[in-house]
Amino acid sequence: MDISSFLDGLSIAVQPINILWIILGGFLGTIVGMLPGLGPATAVAVLIPVTFGMNPVSAIILMAAIYYGAMYGGSRSSILLNTPGDGSAIAATFDGYPMAKKGQAGEALAISAVASFIGGLMAVVGFIFLAEPLANFALKFGPAEYFLLMLLTLSAIVALSIGRMIKGFLAMMVGLALSTVGIDTQTGVYRFTMGIPHLSEGIDFLIVIIGVYAIGEVLYNFLNIDKQKKEKKKVGKVWFSKEQWKRSKWPILRSGPLGFIIGVLPGAGGSIASMISYTSEKQISKRTEEFGEGAVEGLAAPESSNNAASVGAMIPLLTMGIPGSGTTAVMLGALIMLGLRPGPLLFEQQPETAWALINSMFIGNLALVIINIAMVGLLVKILDTPAKVLYPIIVLLAFIGTYTLSYSVIDFFLLLIFGLFGLMMKVMDIPIAPLVLALIVGTDMEQNFRMAVLSSNGSLGVFFSSGVSIGLVILTMLSLCYPLILKLAKRKKNMSEDEDQVYKSS
Amino acid sequence: MKTLKLLMPAGLTIFSIVFLFASLNLPKANLGNPYGPIYFPLGLSIFMLIFSVIFFIQELKKLHETNTDIKLMLSGRTPKLILFTIAAGLVYAFLFEPLGFLYSTMIFLGALLFFINGPKKWLVNIIVTVSFSFISWYAFSQLLGVSLP
Repeated sequence: MDISSFLDGLSIAVQPINILWIILGGFLGTIVGMLPGLGPATAVAVLIPVTFGMNPVSAIILMAAIYYGAMYGGSRSSILLNTPGDGSAIAATFDGYPMAKKGQAGEALAISAVASFIGGLMAVVGFIFLAEPLANFALKFGPAEYFLLMLLTLSAIVALSIGRMIKGFLAMMVGLALSTVGIDTQTGVYRFTMGIPHLSEGIDFLIVIIGVYAIGEVLYNFLNIDKQKKEKKKVGKVWFSKEQWKRSKWPILRSGPLGFIIGVLPGAGGSIASMISYTSEKQISKRTEEFGEGAVEGLAAPESSNNAASVGAMIPLLTMGIPGSGTTAVMLGALIMLGLRPGPLLFEQQPETAWALINSMFIGNLALVIINIAMVGLLVKILDTPAKVLYPIIVLLAFIGTYTLSYSVIDFFLLLIFGLFGLMMKVMDIPIAPLVLALIVGTDMEQNFRMAVLSSNGSLGVFFSSGVSIGLVILTMLSLCYPLILKLAKRKKNMSEDEDQVYKSS
Repeated sequence: MKTLKLLMPAGLTIFSIVFLFASLNLPKANLGNPYGPIYFPLGLSIFMLIFSVIFFIQELKKLHETNTDIKLMLSGRTPKLILFTIAAGLVYAFLFEPLGFLYSTMIFLGALLFFINGPKKWLVNIIVTVSFSFISWYAFSQLLGVSLP
């Protein structure tokens, strides 16, 4: 680690304006994340316009703060309302809500904030040590390796939509198809522009993102809008007892690194990290029977893990320029828009930007734990604000955001089309992340593919020419076989259970 | 409901076919390999067509199963809410430039709030509409320097 770059980054992160952005981003992210059904990707998508006109360093700091703010916020509604903001907050409902029902809402909120904080901190430390070596490694990548890395990321995210792989592939392909619209950068050929000049630069991926995540999610939430329960919550003292801490500290410390590693992996994110932490803690706990009934470690472990995963997920984004999840894909889209291209060169050419972001994560996590503990009363009041008032505001923000992208109302129509498309995807249970990810990496993927083939005079052998590329091909194949392996493993487990029963009954 | 269940797979299949033909008809490049811009979309459209057909068959096989989300989407006031939001968005697109940001936003947000939150809560709706329209106008045009009509 280069100490002077680290200190330069720290000096940027502690500038009052950046601290203000961190706090504001964390707070706004918490609010959107708290809304039932809306998660970090929506929070970042809706709040993108706020970053326009900012310098890119402040913008990335703000977006990161919104991201982990939404992660904190997601678990607030899990604990208090039993309605997770998004997938990564689902595990927090298992024991968080039972704790709140037992009158321990304050303790649950406090332990979840502290666990998130510690998980986040551990991940930031991991980030510091892993980011630069990974960026240096990625510098050696040529077009073939880049193409294969993108292919691996896409196949991993599709493979992880277990049980709906066909739909995942289709979502990915629609994203790739949309990315081909516009002028082909290598040859200048107009593709699929239908004679509309507005489309010659391609379909702005931010409009698709805001459409499917913001409008699509709000429309989808209309399905249950009149059924959302209204509960009066008594939070009480927001702190936990010594006994609760004793039970939580090891699960928190174990889950942080686990979540971080899962977050770094392409395709996997907070949802998987928190689920794995929860189940592994349940397996090793001496109080297995208390899990699901309000066991404090059952809340602490996934909370630490999912926040660590959200920090880990920024590593592939920052060091290779390749997002591994829906939310980081949205962030990449916004950063490209602002003229900042994350990737291995970032650490070489703009080390202060990279280190400012890393340092801002320390400050951001600290700010969030304070916001989430000290301002819990205010947050509970905001949670009381009816969704029926907040959804129209989110729709409006989506429109304003779209307008700021190109100053053209034509994009409002595109926004509505993609909003409806997002709604139908949700209704048909088609995963959205592969679409967004494919749309953002699609152009680069195609260009890298063509450059690689061109450099080898049309031979596909270029994709098997280096150790890295062969490794990536093998990993891609493995990721695609993953659901099959999982199925076989489950079948085997079921069979052995059956055998057990047969044995016992005999 | 059955029609709606097949809407997405059928739509994607048609989209793939159109995409396939559009790819075949793409102009050839004058620079480098003339088929350079065609390979990727063409390959993609073929795979997409195969997967859309599989998706269609999958949905066809499960046609008798109930999709709870589609059921919810068609029940109660949900379809009205969805259609109203889309319609309001379209009207907003037409009013945005002629009326200017502030007035068109008040109409749009007000309409959404009255429809979604209900006319009984008129006071809240009006307060939120007016205050939020002003706050967003101030934040975007004054603080963030976005030029709004």
